[in-house]
Order: sequence, then structure tokens, then C-alpha cells
Amino acid sequence: MNSFKTKKQILDFITHAILLAVAVTCIFPVFWMLSSSLKTQEEIFTKMTLLPEVWQWSNYVDAFVKAEFGMYFLNSVIYTVVGVSAIVLITSMAAYGFARLEFWGKNFLFYLLISTLLIPIPGVFVPLYLLLKKLALLDTRTGLLLCYISGALAFGLFLLRSFFEDLPKEIEEAALIDGCSRFGIYWRIALPLAKPAIATLVILQCLAIWNEFLLALVVLQDKAKMPIQRGLMVFQGTFITDYPLLMAGLTIATIPIVIIYLLMQKHIVKGIAAGALKG
Amino acid sequence: MFRGRFFLFVQVFFCCLFLTVAGCGKKESSKNDESAVKVWHWMTDRQAAFEKLADQYYKETGVKVIFETYAPTDVYKNKITAAASGQLLPDIFNPLSDKRELASYIKAGFIENLNDEMNKGWKDVFFEKSLVQNMFEKNNEWGVEPGYYGVPLDVSSLMIYYNKDLFAKAGLDPNKPPKTWNEFIEAGKKLRAAGIQPFVSGFGEAWLVGSLASSYQWNLFGKQGILDTIQGKITYTDPRWIKIFELFNEMKENKMFASGIVTMINKDAERTFATGKAAMALNGSWGVNVYKSMNPSLQYGIMYPPSLPDAKYPLLVFGGDGSSMFVNAMSPKKDKAIAFLKWFTQREQQSFLAKETLNIPSNKESAQDLPEILKEFSKSIDQTFENLPMIESWQVTNYINTNLQSVIIGEKTPKQAAEEVQAEKERQMKVEK
Amino acid sequence: MNISPKEKTLNMMFIMPALVLFLVFNLYPLIRTFQLSFYQWNGIDKDMLFVGFAQYKHILFNNPAFWKSMLNAGYVTLLSLTLQNGLALLLAILVNRQIRGGNIYRVIFFLPPVLSGIVVGLIWKFVYDGNFGILNHWLMSLGFENFKDFAWLSEVKTSLSSVAIVHMWKGFGYGFIILLAGLQTIPVELYEAAEVDGADKWQQFKNITVPCMIPVFTLVTILTILGSMQIFDLIYSMTRGGPAGHTHVPITKIYEYMSNGEFGYSTAMAIIFGFVLLVVSFFQLYVSKKFNR
Repeated sequence: MNSFKTKKQILDFITHAILLAVAVTCIFPVFWMLSSSLKTQEEIFTKMTLLPEVWQWSNYVDAFVKAEFGMYFLNSVIYTVVGVSAIVLITSMAAYGFARLEFWGKNFLFYLLISTLLIPIPGVFVPLYLLLKKLALLDTRTGLLLCYISGALAFGLFLLRSFFEDLPKEIEEAALIDGCSRFGIYWRIALPLAKPAIATLVILQCLAIWNEFLLALVVLQDKAKMPIQRGLMVFQGTFITDYPLLMAGLTIATIPIVIIYLLMQKHIVKGIAAGALKG
Repeated sequence: MFRGRFFLFVQVFFCCLFLTVAGCGKKESSKNDESAVKVWHWMTDRQAAFEKLADQYYKETGVKVIFETYAPTDVYKNKITAAASGQLLPDIFNPLSDKRELASYIKAGFIENLNDEMNKGWKDVFFEKSLVQNMFEKNNEWGVEPGYYGVPLDVSSLMIYYNKDLFAKAGLDPNKPPKTWNEFIEAGKKLRAAGIQPFVSGFGEAWLVGSLASSYQWNLFGKQGILDTIQGKITYTDPRWIKIFELFNEMKENKMFASGIVTMINKDAERTFATGKAAMALNGSWGVNVYKSMNPSLQYGIMYPPSLPDAKYPLLVFGGDGSSMFVNAMSPKKDKAIAFLKWFTQREQQSFLAKETLNIPSNKESAQDLPEILKEFSKSIDQTFENLPMIESWQVTNYINTNLQSVIIGEKTPKQAAEEVQAEKERQMKVEK
Repeated sequence: MNISPKEKTLNMMFIMPALVLFLVFNLYPLIRTFQLSFYQWNGIDKDMLFVGFAQYKHILFNNPAFWKSMLNAGYVTLLSLTLQNGLALLLAILVNRQIRGGNIYRVIFFLPPVLSGIVVGLIWKFVYDGNFGILNHWLMSLGFENFKDFAWLSEVKTSLSSVAIVHMWKGFGYGFIILLAGLQTIPVELYEAAEVDGADKWQQFKNITVPCMIPVFTLVTILTILGSMQIFDLIYSMTRGGPAGHTHVPITKIYEYMSNGEFGYSTAMAIIFGFVLLVVSFFQLYVSKKFNR
């Protein structure tokens, strides 16, 4: 009994040692970002100290004002919330369809849809731009959102279909016999069970949309509709980068996404329930 | 519990959807700016100064001018390309392209020919070199209607900055920078011996390494020689080209390059020089402003790249127009745009910009009002590369730059590098046929 | 089970929204771009020059730099598949041991993916810097004097691996959360039963963890392949493809051609690259299906 306990202690120690080592490398950049955001430009260039000499809290105020975050923040929230919700709804429905239902051309359509995951076309923004112009969606929030949503289809489908396929069929079949509609089964049974996968999708897509700005800059003309990343541009001059303000701005822009992650990652843990049913 | 939260989710979703739709309807409100002249630019550091001038212009004439920044430059370029394909360019912009691409913009009818306006005396206010870069001569390679197209806002040139304190520390005369190639190499040796990195530049950005090579191309070949090379009459394996590669090899052999120079972007190179980690830096005139913001107490001077003893032609430096603006030929407000640019390039406005942003104004009269070091730079504007009626294909230029990097890291000998470039040149000439 | 045609049609409703969006916003632009690859066009000119397969032929036979960039991406991908995913799996298993503070690690390990590429590029450049980089500082204090001034990102031998390390560091968090999610869907009862049967930890890992995790492994592998082959931001911010092209990858090459006004050519490159990815992915799916059986 005693040797068992010491063995566990040693194992725990090694575990913590490894985890801690990796954790330090992950925290360091954040620490560096925070510390740089509180320095002056000159200090960043001429002194390599870890902590600022004088803590320039005003950098945060300056960054917030200069980058006009007040204006962009709500836009980014809208794009992220609407975009990610729509991605979850649309892709989970389609993924459920592909995983469980029979219809014409199923395999062909599936592979066609996920094949867009594979062809990265940096120049695709030109045809996309012309398309949006034709549809009169240029410079609209709807147009940008539709681009975001369609851009995430392939990945969402790919991620969710295999989860739905792995879910136990028995409950769904029982529900079907009880007279539940197919949509009802998807909505009430399959979707809640796929929570870990959906949480993963939500995190990754929030990250993608929150950080995206190339497409937004091309699609939108009106400054009032632009996302938060637009604000960060102000600090990256063609000739000079204002590092302290850039770091302060980045910190402000990073906080919401960290919060989203903190909220969603708990759901991944709760996925145990889904697995237990499988066994 | 999940369901409860999920419905909340759905509600938020629809709320936001509503907001989105409402947002689309709100578009009307921004329409009152429709009469304003719109400028898209990439110079984030000058936005404040630009806006001040726009305010002043509004007070004087009642015409509103809106400056919008999109940065960094590749983002700006994407935006311009897309806007061009959708015919939604602003009234004033710059495609930030080489001459070949600029020709395409003009031929597609996106850029206004400013010949009439320029010839009415407007062109006389500018440094000549700042205009010729965006001007097309008769019988140019691309078949563009000859004339002036760009309006230069400022001028720039590429020179070598040297740190006076570090020169003194290595036993060199801080007021006599090296003039010839041999003196340059000797200075490098002394600096290295004193434990100082002799030379830095953003050679990770290929155009900077290429510009230095071009200086020696002008030095050794002259204008006609360069044209002959572009046309394939002179090969890149010509002894003079091998000599150019050898210059970089010589610098490498004498340990003149700062550590990591071949992947260094210019902003990092500027930091290296500003913090006294290297004694010389090849950089543009904008560096004056950059170094001031990074290290105000830096003591430095500027010099030309050292010329070669056996060279037949004058050594020229990269430069000319710093940033130019073009008028959208399709815009109904193009007259307003031209009028604004005219006002914008007058002495008073240009002096204001020069003072605020420490750039060399394109208006040569304003250059009188400059601080000493920028005056020195402005003298070099006449020594910048001449305008050519054709340019080398970008693939070959790319090969030159990459192979210069290869020589600097000792991967290839000068001869091998020259042969590689020539091989690509032959491939490209085949394609053109 | 027999399904009536009417039901088959009705079932289509599930995929309709996705399908419509896909057709309009993905397929149509894709076809237009595909069309572009047969033209020489700079994005601005009024008329495009039809050149048929000439650009494809040029890429296949006359563009060694592009194929070298493909090999570079392949190298990064191989490293990521082994080292990055190995690390992600190890960390996921460790955190899954229900140790104290597991939650905190879950948050911390996901910081690199959350951080913007700008910050990551800047910081690692500071780490690798030849003059005042932290890495050289440590190596020299350990007695490796010859690392003075050694510029990791600028040396032919180390540049690509140095970038790959940053890529893996930034990416392992994704693999980690997906693998952890996968581990937690494995029912505890299976392990308890195995414990009763007297299986040791290694046997449990081999006979329970690995088989249950195969679908998750497949997912992570595909995501790693796609993510690593399409690496771009980090390369662009750290080396721009240098020194002398040694860290160029397909996307930086495509980008280079596009920004030089070669729209048609760069789309042809993208199509070829997409085709290579397609082949790799299907091969990977095929292999993992075989394993699954």
C-alpha cells in the first residue's frame, strides 16, 4: 500500500514537472505582451528588462482611443456571435444529415463539400468580391457573415459528422418509434449529445472570426462596420510600429477570446456523459 | 440545462441578426459624405497630419476630404486590387505596383492622365526625379499614352547611415565616412576588430538587397548597359555582374554583415542600428524619423554607397518618389481630387507635412525648410536611378535577390549565383516568346 | 431499411442551408478561380489572355522553387505529425489523469493558439536573435561558446526547423483540446473492467485508449496535415521565405506570385497544391480506415 502511494506521488511529480515546463513556455509570451504593453517605445528598444521601469497604464487608454475600439468592439461581437451560431446550426444540421440520413448523392455531396477544406486560394477574394457586388451584398454585414459562414462549412461538417456517426443509434431509434420527428431527434437528442464537438467547433470558429480581418477589409467599405482587428492596424505603421500601443491593443483584443475559451472548455469536459452512453 | 442555455443562444442569435439587418438599413446615414473626396492610403504614421490638412482645406474651400488608412501595405494592395475589379476605387489612391502593373491600371482606365494640369506649371514645383517615376515616355514598352500620372507627396532615397560614436570607438574618423569600396571594407575590418557589427539592413526584404546591387549595376553598366541586360544582349554571367556578386561575397568574407541579416525585415534592421548594435545601415530617408522615435540621442551621419575604383559610370542610389498618389479616372469628383492634390503639394502644406512627419517633401521649395540631415538626403534625390522605358521581369529580379542572399550566407559562389540568374533569365525569355 | 423517395427528398432539407451556401459562396468562386488558372491575367487588365495548360506545364516542369517549397511544407508537416501530436497526446493523457490543477493547464496550453500571429512572430524572433536572443544567451551560459552571433533563422541548416518549432508550439494546443475531449469520451467503466481483469497501464493504453481514439487521431492528423501544409503567417512574419528561399512554402510562393500581378499563374499553383493536399488527405483517410478495422 505504501509503495503504491509513493509510486503515485512520483508519477504525479513527473506529471506536474512536464506540464509545468510546457506551461511556462506558453505563459511567457503573454507575460511579455503584458509587460511590453506597459513600457515606453524607447524602453522596449534600448533596455531588455522583464518589467517596465514605470508602468505606463495610460498606454491602454491611448490604445483604446486611438484604435477606436469602442466603435469596432460591438461589430466584432456581432460577427462572432451571429457567425458562430449560424455555423453551429447549419453545419450540425448538415453533419447530422450526412451521418444518419439517406438521400440522393450523399457521398458525392459530402466529399464535394469538404473538398473546399483542401484548396486554399489566396486569390479567391476577387471572385468573392465580384459575387458580393452582384448580389448587392458588398459593404454589408450580411455579406461578410455569409462569407464567414460558408468559409467554415467544410471544417464544421468534417468535425461534426464523425461525432454524430459515433453516437449510439439506439436512443434515436427508440425516439423514432415514439413518434419523434427526424428534426426533433436532431434537435433534442443528437445535438445535446454532440456537445463536446460543438464546443470545439465554437472555440475554433470564435477564434477564426474574431481574428479575421483581411476579408473584412476587402468586403466592407464603411469604417463603422469594421471589426476590432481593423483598429490594431493603426499601430503597425509602414515605417514604425508602435509596440507598446500595439501590445496594449492586442491585449484588449485578446481578452474576450480568452473568456470565450474559459466558458466553452468546460463543456468539453462534460462530454464524458456522451461517451458513457456509448459504452 | 443545456437546452435552456441553447435557447438563450438562439435568442442572442436572432437579436444579433436583427441588429445586422438594422445595420444594413442604416447605410443611408453615411451617404451624406458622398460629396467628399476619398483618399485611401497606407501611411498610418501620417494619418494625423493628413487629417489636419484636410480640416484646413475644408475650412478654406468647403470641400471635404476623407483620408482612410489600410495597413500594412500588402493589406492595402489587396484592398485596391479588389476595389479595382469591382470598379469601386476611391477618388485618390496608389496601386503600389511596379511600372508594368501601373501601366495595366492606366490602360484599364483607372488612372487619370495629369499631363494638362502638370504642364500648366504644376510640375515645376516638384523635384524632377519624383515625377519621372510615374511618368510614361513616348514609345514606352507597355503602349501607355505618354504623360504624367502620379502626384508625389514626398521623395526618398536610400543611403548608408553611419553611427558616429561607434566609428570613433573603432578608431575611425566620425566626420570622414569611407568613400571608396576599399575604404569601406577597411572600415568594416576595424569595426569588427573593435567588436562592433559593421553593416546592417533589412536584407530579408529582398528589394533592399536588390537596391544595393542595382546601385553597382548603374555604377558598372550605365543606362545603356542595363537596357541591354534587360533585352538579353548582355548576360548575367558578364564579368561585371559576377563582380557585383563578388562585392557581397567580399563583405561576407570580411564579416561585415550583422548576424541574421538575410532574414531581417527593415524594421528589425532599424532597431539594430538605432540601438547601436551595428555601425552602418543601408536605409531610406524615412529612417530619420524612425531613428528619432527609437533613440533620440543617436549620433549619425549619412554617406553614399562607396563607389568602385574601376567603374565607368556614376553610382546612383535607389529613390525618387517616396509615396505618390493617383487620381481615379472614373470618379465623378476627379476635378475636386486634382484640385485638392494641387493644394496639398504647395509649399506651405508640404513644409507642414515635412515638419510633422520628417519626410522630404516632393515640393522642392519646401526642401529649404528642412533639418540638416534631411537636406543632405534631398541633395541625393538627383543621384537616384534614372527612369527606364522597360523593366526586368520580376521573376529574374527575384532570382537576383535570392541569389544575393545565397552569396551572403555562403551557400553559393558569385559565379554560381550569376549562372543561376542567367538560367532563370533564359527561362523567362523563352516564356515571353 | 427501405426509404421512400419522398423521405429521401425530405431528408435533403437537413443539408439544404449548407448546400445552398456552399454552392453560392464556395463552389462558384472556386469555379471562377479554376477558370482563371487557364488565363494569363494580372487582376487589372480588361482582357485576359487564354493560355490553356501552359501555366500548369510551367509549374510542373519549370518551377523548381515551387516544388522545393512543397518539400519544405512536407518537412514541417512530418515534424508536426510526430513531435507536435506526440506532445499534444502526452499532455492530454497527463491532464486527463485527474491531477490537481488540471483545469489550469487546460487554459494555459490553449494560450499559444489564441495569441495573435504578430505577438508570436515577434517573441520568437527575440528568442532566436543572433545578437541578443535568449536562446543563444542560454546556450552560451551552458558553455557552448560557438553559438555567439548564431542566427538561427538565417542559417540554411536551422532556418526551416526553427520555424517548424514555432509552428508546432503554436499549434499543439488545438491537438491537445481535441485529444483531451476524445479521451474524456472513453467510458471510465472500460478502464475499471480492465483493472479488474488485471491489465496494467500500458495494456490499458494499448487495448482501450488507442482503439477508442482512432477516429480522434484521424481528425487530429488531418487537421495537422492541412494546418501544416498551409502554414503561412508565421513564415511570413519570421523569415519571409528566406534565407535565399529556404523557408518558402507553397502558400508564400502563391502569395508571392499573386502580389506580383500573376493572378492566373498563382491560381494554377493553388489548384495544383490543392490537388496534392487532396491526394494526401484521401491517402490518410484510407490508411486510418484500414486501422479502424
